[in-house]
Amino acid sequence: MNTYLEDLKGLDNAGKTTILKKFNGEDIDTISPTLGFNIKTLEHKGFKLNIWDVGGQKSLRSYWRNYFESTDGLIWVVDSADRMRMNDCKQELQALLVEERLAGATLLVFANKQDLPGSLTAQSIREAMELDEIKTHHWLIQDCSAVTGENLLKGIDWVIDDIASRIFTMD
Amino acid sequence: MSATTGKKKGGGFLSRQAKTKDKGQQLEHISEDELLKKNSVSPDDVLGLTKITDNYLCPPEANIYGIDFTRFKLRDMDSGSVIFEVAKPPPAEEDEDVDPDEIDPNAGRFVRYQFTPQFLRLKTVGATVEFVVGDKPVSKFRMIERHFFKEKLLKSFDFEFGFCIPHSRNTVEHIYEFPTLTTEEIQDMMDHPFDTRSDSFYFVEDKLIMHNKADYAYNSGA
Repeated sequence: MNTYLEDLKGLDNAGKTTILKKFNGEDIDTISPTLGFNIKTLEHKGFKLNIWDVGGQKSLRSYWRNYFESTDGLIWVVDSADRMRMNDCKQELQALLVEERLAGATLLVFANKQDLPGSLTAQSIREAMELDEIKTHHWLIQDCSAVTGENLLKGIDWVIDDIASRIFTMD
Repeated sequence: MSATTGKKKGGGFLSRQAKTKDKGQQLEHISEDELLKKNSVSPDDVLGLTKITDNYLCPPEANIYGIDFTRFKLRDMDSGSVIFEVAKPPPAEEDEDVDPDEIDPNAGRFVRYQFTPQFLRLKTVGATVEFVVGDKPVSKFRMIERHFFKEKLLKSFDFEFGFCIPHSRNTVEHIYEFPTLTTEEIQDMMDHPFDTRSDSFYFVEDKLIMHNKADYAYNSGA
């Protein structure tokens, strides 16, 4: 069975851990800031997935580069209601995408927290983050809500399908 | 250079998987007595063991990284219910009246579990461990866990966490299919409490730094 590695990244409070837990059918009532990593290894659609969720606080971001090796898919989580930090969010993502070790990785941007009033649409975030400028990675932006679970599966399935087709073509 | 699962340099994941398989066939079986004579024990050494160990293959002091397991949780993925959860109390709550000479140096390295027979009929489980790391960064942290019933290897986990951030609190959940057991095997395991045992080996940069043991009974409430 093929194993794929996926990394969840994004600013603090974007909802990375909530996405991970909701996707795995876990209780999401008590989630505190991640001061390290949360890993899940699971089988999904016949693939073995190792998903790394690394804390997004500023003090932890310098450690992110320790987690890029052999990443097949990068899931970038955006707090769609955090308009103030949309620019930070864009810059952090752009800084990641020039990492050599992430070259070729599939990129999914989750426009999370769509359940919150005043959240930006996926289209607005696509423009604000200038996603159309990204030519180095296969990417997709998907609106979702970690709290309701809406579109989580859809996004993750897209990542897996894209990684699988990429690796299949390589063989 | 050793083959591993999890995160590792170069070549993409699939080519590394291929290497892992090749390596697996070349592993030499080594006895526990031979391992005890070595200065340090490697992942390949323990992968070559064919039964549960009688001793601890490293002293408690080998853990110079302050790695401490603080929580263990098991859930049944089919029903979504938590079957078992144990958390270590914070240090402040520990009994301070204990004479240090009476403390068993191996306390905390061994756990005994008593489950009901229903446990053996679970299909998919999620096993979570939580651990904290001391003030040094940890590189290439890897866990190898081997479960035996008598001489039979039931399950072998091999997972590389990779890098751990200083002062971090981390969790890992492995969601996996429970090994399929025959009715006879289930009966045999119920009839022989604590003959199901596990060795958990933890490595930093391919050197053994922690060795924990557990044993299991499945006749609780029967």
